[in-house]
Amino acid sequence: MSVETKISSAKAGSTYLDENEISGNGRAVTMPAISVIVSTFNNGGDVQAMYRALRQGLENYGQSFELIFVDDASLDNTYTQLLDIAKRDRQVKLIRMRTSFGETSALDAGLRHALGQRLVFVTARVRINMQSLPRLLKKLDEGFDLVVGWRTPRQDSGVNRVVSRMFNWLMQKQGNLQLHDINSSVIATYRSVLENITFYGNLNVFIPVLAARQGYKVTEEQIEQLSGTFRKSVHVSEYIQRILDIITVIFLTKYSKKPLHFLGFFGIIFTFAGLVMNVYLFTYRILGFGGIAGRPLLLLGAMLLVIGLQMISIGLIGEMIIYTHAREIKEYNIETVVGE
Amino acid sequence: MNSSSDKIFCSVVIPVMNEEENIPHLHKAITEAMQAWGRPYEIVIVDDGSTDRTFSLLEEIARHDAHLRVVKFRRNFGQSAAMGAGFQFACGEVVVTMDGDLQNDPNDIPMVVEELQKGYDVVSGWRKNRKDKLVIRKVPSKIANRLIRKTTQVSLHDTGCSLKAYRREVVDKISLYGELHRFIPALARVEGARIGEVVVNHHERKFGQSKYNLTRTFRVIMDLTTLNLLLKYLTKPLHFFGALTLLFNLLGIGTLLYSAFNVAQNRLATEELNVLMSLGFLLIAAGINFLLFGLIANMVVKTGKKRDERLHEIVAFTV
Repeated sequence: MSVETKISSAKAGSTYLDENEISGNGRAVTMPAISVIVSTFNNGGDVQAMYRALRQGLENYGQSFELIFVDDASLDNTYTQLLDIAKRDRQVKLIRMRTSFGETSALDAGLRHALGQRLVFVTARVRINMQSLPRLLKKLDEGFDLVVGWRTPRQDSGVNRVVSRMFNWLMQKQGNLQLHDINSSVIATYRSVLENITFYGNLNVFIPVLAARQGYKVTEEQIEQLSGTFRKSVHVSEYIQRILDIITVIFLTKYSKKPLHFLGFFGIIFTFAGLVMNVYLFTYRILGFGGIAGRPLLLLGAMLLVIGLQMISIGLIGEMIIYTHAREIKEYNIETVVGE
Repeated sequence: MNSSSDKIFCSVVIPVMNEEENIPHLHKAITEAMQAWGRPYEIVIVDDGSTDRTFSLLEEIARHDAHLRVVKFRRNFGQSAAMGAGFQFACGEVVVTMDGDLQNDPNDIPMVVEELQKGYDVVSGWRKNRKDKLVIRKVPSKIANRLIRKTTQVSLHDTGCSLKAYRREVVDKISLYGELHRFIPALARVEGARIGEVVVNHHERKFGQSKYNLTRTFRVIMDLTTLNLLLKYLTKPLHFFGALTLLFNLLGIGTLLYSAFNVAQNRLATEELNVLMSLGFLLIAAGINFLLFGLIANMVVKTGKKRDERLHEIVAFTV
């Protein structure tokens, strides 16, 4: 098993290391109930404490578990510290990405090696008290399908908090989700839920929204955030990326199967506005009120017309793609079938 | 149940949502009608995210009736999705769809199926004596039907009637998305299906609330436009985009020639020339864009699923 994994993960751009490789003794693969996947990036300072807290919390919870650390090619000594832990602890798996592929890829790589049916995703970046993580699992026990960690009290910088609040508001509008901290990146859920929602690119923060739209029961649970040093500045490009992600999600969840509904609506508005302007100008010219060549409105009208028609065209192309390429996509999610 | 599934002749597919009062009556009426008919049957009820006791009632009935299969959605996904799921689980040679509100008469099922066996691929019911409110349902429905007839070349009086019978092959071929369940006959027509129509009974709603509202009309119109454009240009996308390309390039070249002509005659001020030239370039750029769209559309369509195994060829030996 370990050889196979090694080859496949080498292709995926990561090195996979578990206790098998190090000690060399054949270990019977036991299926843990819970897989906790932690992504790290330059967290050399808190890795040890995080590991201890995590372990203690899970032991108190009492179900079998495994810890999967995915190091997104840290530049500091995070990896060597984790390697030390993995050598000592049989329940720890360690994956190292060849270069930084981002959190989503790291979590995805972790997911590939996870054996548990219950999954907990966490990134070391958010600095939560790992000991309280099993609270999320208790919520799963109550019958929810997905639980989001709500970082409270929030310890982040002001800018981060404002952005976060805006983001939550937008997402609440989109997914009918009444959550306080959708993008906390702390999530507990079942394997089956993830199998029914596809996430790619930067979309891991949207897992709760996507799950809720599929009809899964999504809730939140408070989780402490540790005080300390936080990333001060977030790059502007990250916010732009966020906004693009939001647009993607709106489109994917609402209109992915009927692009012409969305684009056609705006296309018709633009086309109509453009037509009205130009018809006005031409009537003006024909009735002899004066020349229209110098009127910027002429250009505006033509541009709106062109944009409108292009939107409709792209919507139509979208419909064609769906009709010819994506006919087997299911638009529904079945909970149970009785009588089979 | 599974062992006999290959022998099932008729599958009755019913999407329901919050119909707790209708469920027992519905099940009884269908069972009586099917038992009287005597052909092997199954009932597939899709619970489209009901929030009342609909599902627990169905579960209870299914415990005693091996003919009933219940599919429960995690949330409300819409009637098209529910019908799609019903089609997926139905295993009869003939699939009959109907509403869960008892406005269709299950006793009509044998008649509709017999009509199907006369050599059709789809047979639609026609509620000639419709028992609904005139203003909010009948009138929009009349208009919609006329539109659908005009745009899809399928001449049915009552496309919106849920009681329809399909041959297995049709059900397997058609993918339902958006709110396209209304247009299954039109979609089937594209695949080469023969479509029939038969007059059926229609009753007043006894229990529960109608899920119909006028905002649906807008979505139906959008769907209709979509379907119309899609079906018309699916095989020849360059016709649509080619026309736009031609139009915009001609307009652009015309504008440029017009301004050149007027400049030669010294009749244009500089700022007028600027606007006109920009307009000309804009229109030409748009024209070229449409050409490129057309090429992409062509690629999309050409790389899509091969559509050479059209329906009538298969139907030929199963009649």
